[in-house]
Amino acid sequence: MSTHLTLRLTALVLLLRPMGPWSLRPLILAGAGLAILSPRALTSSWTWYALTGLLAARIVADWPLPDNHIYLLTYWCLAIALALGAADAERVLMTSARLLIGTAFLMAVIWKGVLSPDYLDGRFFRVTWLTDERFADAVQLLGRLSQPQLEHNRVVLQPLPEGAELLHPPSLDEPSAFRHLVLASTWGIFAMEALVAIAFLYPFGRRAALAQHALLLGFCAITYAIAPVAGFGWLLLTMGVALCRWNQKTLRAAYVATWFLVLLYSEVPWAHLIVGWLTNSSSA
Amino acid sequence: MGAAVRWRAWLPTVLLLTVALTQILLARVADLSPWKGGGFGMFATTDGTAFRYVRLFIDAPGRSEELTVTESLEDAALRAQLFPSDHFLSSLGEAAALREQRHGRSVSTVRVEVWKVQFTNRPLRSTEKRLRSFILRVEPPLVPLKPDATLED
Repeated sequence: MSTHLTLRLTALVLLLRPMGPWSLRPLILAGAGLAILSPRALTSSWTWYALTGLLAARIVADWPLPDNHIYLLTYWCLAIALALGAADAERVLMTSARLLIGTAFLMAVIWKGVLSPDYLDGRFFRVTWLTDERFADAVQLLGRLSQPQLEHNRVVLQPLPEGAELLHPPSLDEPSAFRHLVLASTWGIFAMEALVAIAFLYPFGRRAALAQHALLLGFCAITYAIAPVAGFGWLLLTMGVALCRWNQKTLRAAYVATWFLVLLYSEVPWAHLIVGWLTNSSSA
Repeated sequence: MGAAVRWRAWLPTVLLLTVALTQILLARVADLSPWKGGGFGMFATTDGTAFRYVRLFIDAPGRSEELTVTESLEDAALRAQLFPSDHFLSSLGEAAALREQRHGRSVSTVRVEVWKVQFTNRPLRSTEKRLRSFILRVEPPLVPLKPDATLED
């Protein structure tokens, strides 16, 4: 049951976000569509080897442009293909899902905590919240920044030539709610990713299974409300479904519900609607 | 879990690790953007697509000017700015030279520069830094290309 649902959700991820150059895209869509429509194709390892090959070809053709979740999706399709060829497919898929989630989060933690020069000191989120148009509504809502403040800060952050300095540099306008948002997002995401990596990679045994699920579900429900990469969220949640044992119906339902929550996040501009509603009600 | 089953479960993760470690190496020694290349460095640094850009300069007898990155060059420019290797810089330079020649303009060299915007923390300020500069010498076409109005970007 979990395996079939996992396979269908994976095919759905491929269908919902068509990818790659025009020479590969129809083939990827056809493979995913076939998997959804035909139970035989869905459970054939050849379908998933073919999809793995097509996704790998897409990564090579578009390199270095593909996002990280396309790589993870490729490894995941390979994991499915390998599992379907094994005697105990469900067990192989569970182990693959646990290792892939844990390792992907571990790499994300290594980048943020060790390799990046501008993450832990808060620079990344200060700059991103202020300059990335995709987060403009969220930063107004959560950081209590007005549109004029946002525009002023963007002017202040215009780059100067290397070595140049302004005689009277303007200062950034950062209300305390914004500073708290930067602190919470920097350390909250880092801590959550570290906890997921530890929970999935350290051999705690079955006692930690519920903690693993709670962390993964919590991470996806919070992060993808803001981060504009629904495909990554769907993939993680699909791998989470693969980790459910056949009798864990409630847990599986929670993953599916969160999967659709991420779909809603991606299709309904909730932050924009709330900012608009707050602006209208304050001006009325 | 037996060994025959174990390799099936581990192989995808071994691939992930191999690609991720290669990505770290390329980011360290060859300026690959940490956001790209399968190392899971997204949302970890400002050094991504938004804060890198390319500049193109054309030289020929009687002309020396900076070119705008047009729509037809965007894909090559994006690859070059995210991974400024000789291969991608040369591809972008060639595409820019071909475009100029298609429009009947002479080209002797194309200089491709990749820049990034970096931020200091206290106070938060940004400055531009050149990551790489690459010069492509262009052979004149054997048959002069005629300007083609349909090839406007």
